[in-house]
Amino acid sequence: MSYFFQLVISGVVVGSIYALSALGFVLIYKSSRVLNIAHGQIIAAGAFITYGLTVWANLPIYLSFVLSMILTFFLAMSVERIFLRRLIGEPIISVIMVTIGLMSILDGLIYLTPFGTENFSFPPFLPVTPIAFFGVSISWTQLVGVIVTFTLIAGFSWFFKKSTVGISMRAVSDDQLASMSIGISVPRVFGLAWAMAGLSAAAAGGIIGNITGLNFDTLHAFGIVVFPVVILGGLDSILGAVVAGIIMGLIQQFASGYLDGNWGLNGTGEVLPYIILLIILLFKPHGLFGIHEIERV
Amino acid sequence: MKKYEMNRWLLILVAVFMITLPTGGFAKVYKLGLSLAITGPTSDAGNPYSKGVEDYFNYVNDTGVLGDDTIDCTIRDDQYKNDITKRNFEEFLDDGIVFYLNYSTGSTLALKKDFEEEKMPVIPASFHAGNLVDSNYIFLPIASYSAQAIGLAEYVVKNNKGDMPKVAMFIHPSAFGRGPLEDVQKAVGAGLQIEIVEVVEHGKDLDNTAMLKRLISKGVRYVISQTVQSPVATMLKDASSLGLIASTFGEEGKLTFLGCHYTGGNDLVALAGDAAENFYWTTSYVITNEPGPGTDAQLALAKRYGRDEKAANSHNYANGMMVAQVATEVIRRAKAKDKEITKETLYQELLGMNGDNAFQPETTVGPVTFSPTDKAGVDTLQLYVVKDGGFQSAGKPFIPEYTAKIK
Amino acid sequence: MSANRWLSTGNYFTSYKEEQRIFATHLDRSVLLCFLAVLFAWPLLFEVSNKQMFVIDNIMIAMIAVVGLNLVTGFAGLISIGHAAFVGIGAYTIASFARLLGDTHMVLTHGWPALIVLAGFMGALFGAIAGLPAFRLKHLYLAIATLSFQMIFQWTINFMDFFDQGQTISVGRVFWVTGRVGRSDHYLFWYYVILVIIVLVGFGVRNLLRTKYGRCLVAVRDNDRAADAMGMHPGLTKVYAFALAGFLAGVAGALHAYLYRGVGIESFTLHHSINYLAMAIVGGLGTLSGSFWGPLAIKVLDMQVERLSEWTGGHLAVATNLATALKPLSFGLIIVLFLMFEPRGIANWWRIVRSYVKLWPFRY
Repeated sequence: MSYFFQLVISGVVVGSIYALSALGFVLIYKSSRVLNIAHGQIIAAGAFITYGLTVWANLPIYLSFVLSMILTFFLAMSVERIFLRRLIGEPIISVIMVTIGLMSILDGLIYLTPFGTENFSFPPFLPVTPIAFFGVSISWTQLVGVIVTFTLIAGFSWFFKKSTVGISMRAVSDDQLASMSIGISVPRVFGLAWAMAGLSAAAAGGIIGNITGLNFDTLHAFGIVVFPVVILGGLDSILGAVVAGIIMGLIQQFASGYLDGNWGLNGTGEVLPYIILLIILLFKPHGLFGIHEIERV
Repeated sequence: MKKYEMNRWLLILVAVFMITLPTGGFAKVYKLGLSLAITGPTSDAGNPYSKGVEDYFNYVNDTGVLGDDTIDCTIRDDQYKNDITKRNFEEFLDDGIVFYLNYSTGSTLALKKDFEEEKMPVIPASFHAGNLVDSNYIFLPIASYSAQAIGLAEYVVKNNKGDMPKVAMFIHPSAFGRGPLEDVQKAVGAGLQIEIVEVVEHGKDLDNTAMLKRLISKGVRYVISQTVQSPVATMLKDASSLGLIASTFGEEGKLTFLGCHYTGGNDLVALAGDAAENFYWTTSYVITNEPGPGTDAQLALAKRYGRDEKAANSHNYANGMMVAQVATEVIRRAKAKDKEITKETLYQELLGMNGDNAFQPETTVGPVTFSPTDKAGVDTLQLYVVKDGGFQSAGKPFIPEYTAKIK
Repeated sequence: MSANRWLSTGNYFTSYKEEQRIFATHLDRSVLLCFLAVLFAWPLLFEVSNKQMFVIDNIMIAMIAVVGLNLVTGFAGLISIGHAAFVGIGAYTIASFARLLGDTHMVLTHGWPALIVLAGFMGALFGAIAGLPAFRLKHLYLAIATLSFQMIFQWTINFMDFFDQGQTISVGRVFWVTGRVGRSDHYLFWYYVILVIIVLVGFGVRNLLRTKYGRCLVAVRDNDRAADAMGMHPGLTKVYAFALAGFLAGVAGALHAYLYRGVGIESFTLHHSINYLAMAIVGGLGTLSGSFWGPLAIKVLDMQVERLSEWTGGHLAVATNLATALKPLSFGLIIVLFLMFEPRGIANWWRIVRSYVKLWPFRY
């Protein structure tokens, strides 16, 4: 039974990291209807900036974590300004392809640094003994990861509900023309959405980097891993990202915990999300919490 | 008048001959090719590997190891893609190479037929035992992954206290991981006294807690890994935070982690940090943490060509250096016998590299031996263990016994 | 119709039939015929190394695949991020014969033309299956559905023992009327095979696009509800577009298998899907000539960058990281720059050059 609970806890932990990774995706899609395929690269960049500040600039890790979030905030904002501003109103395939191109460019830029080909790990800063209760254990790194995730998500939710800028962003995602007519600067909102996505990506990068060590291949793979999550949750719902992230985490843990090694199956945790993804797409394409768009000719 | 001029030409001709003959003709250039992943997946291994090869061949040319003759080794990046490897190989063939160095398991298997047709001697960086199936021209530099995994299992048998040791295998989800697993299973069939309780094919898991707990509850005491560093690092970190890493070999109620060539090295310590402590790793290369002629040679070469700390101390640098050394050695031997340097003569030299003719590079723990029936170079393995953030050798070099029994 | 069937200064069509001609003037036709003759003749006149021929063969295989991708993405407007999987289906059709019968079995070595067609049909079958979500999905969601098809394909091949878990399955050398195609002729032989297939595909698609079955693709892309109102079935049309793309991808895959004499999963990954998309975009979406320009441009760029990074790696000791970075950097930049400044692709430059030559010495 404790095995079952361990799977549940691990699933929730992994799931909330997925949720945080997916958050940036959702933020961008929600405001500007852009599917950002380069998200994994931004996550990796955030992790590397954190490492650079901690180890090379000798800053305390908490400070460099926050600083890296701020830096990535501006990085993502300038990415939007340089590459995507021109493409407002272009067909959807152009926008997707631009983010694919962006992915390659960021890859190239990261290869210019030592992080492209070498491996690093954060200096330990948390207690190593895990917290254990009833035979279930959770490591401090994971616990901090979950706490950061939920703090950030709560922060974003509050921001969208209460603050003026947040409300104007929701207005833009609802109806661009109408919000323009009441004086909201739509391009600025897009820039801000990217910036906030960058911020959440840096947070995700820092947490994942602490868990897996800093390896570029591992980190940028998260850009693809979150696809099933965002689709399950509905592309434009923050709550959806959280719920779907946790569901996916649980599914993966249960699949590899109970299916792998039986009936000759292996690595089911890797492919199951995509199978679920196809099923959702076939039967409920707008996900659990997504808005169903009505189209007119 | 006319006759006089003819004589003069004759004289000049003779003079030219006189000058060139004693030096044994013009200096020759031997063309070699290396295609590997300097960028893309596994480039953390490929990058120092290429530096090792490049530096050693430069050293050969600069210090005159082959007399006036030089080696021209073209190094091409294939980004770990078989398609590009194939293109590079075709280009090398057009250039007329006499020896080929390859890299990944995938491309070695993909090009096997081409090597056969071309009768091209090849040394890959992949130690996959499957490379040798239906192949005459592929030579592994050191013992195959299978031999390494079996060696680790044998070490477990010898050092385990109590009943039959329960072992889990943690493998890469590809032939690279599955091949050695099959061979370990065969060794168990042939009488190796371990019980393989579970086989875990890892994905990009962020959390291995459940898996580790499951292994503990099944009574597993040893985990043998055959994959790359990153997933091992994640697993070690989880195990460390759960307090499951045995502090002595085979500690009761804990897990002892062991791994083959590509799971270890400084990169593992870099990724896993303190969690790498007490990780057992096997390879045939000497490591620069310990003083010795191999370490000196490796560091001197890296220093000579201005390599940074990280590359200089990488076991993959040693790997590349050693492969280049073997290639140079066969050319040197063929030259000493006054043979023309061709694919065929180099192939024969490789096959003859055994017995008294075995070759001992500085950076390996045993001699390189090849014969028509033994295509794996260094058969000797050395076990290393991480202590205080660095690998140290544990015990004497050994040769796995069951590799011969399962053939 | 202008009086002169050789030269025409403008648009003189008086009927739809005239507008739908493949060649507007006799000159167009003659130029193309000459060009084709050159394509067939040049390898006989010049010495070509194996590597060069190999690269050319590769570009041409990519052209076949990209024509397919352009049908589904350019003409029918359905984004496919899983095209390499369909190419893979074709290649693995050949591979399964190799696994079942042995890699030098008669069926494989003598019956290759039939197998290539069969691989095309397998590609079409799986294309149609993967296109089923198109009944319900549009735009982005469809793109993601094709992405998951790609992922599932990769996992399946990696998982199945039958396909040797994605490791290369070798395919034997083929026979032609003159006997076994040996190593020295291998790439030249396949050059001609691929060239013939490209010509067939080119004319086939050009003809398709002037029929009802081609025009319905464009209609569905431009407005599927309007197309519905005009009696087309948008869902079926989309599935049919995927099947068409799958067919061409399958043919390309089979050619890939024979050219490389082996099939391994590494040639059919997500990365390759993205590459095909980039080729289609750089060439020009929704144009036939773009499908030929794109692969040529991307592959040539790739090779040039490789040469450049080799040069920087050799001349600047510290520049290994720079050399590493050049390839993704240039690939990314070319996609982004094309999308930002020339979204209609190289095909548009081609169109401009053509009309300039046609009207010369007049400006417009």
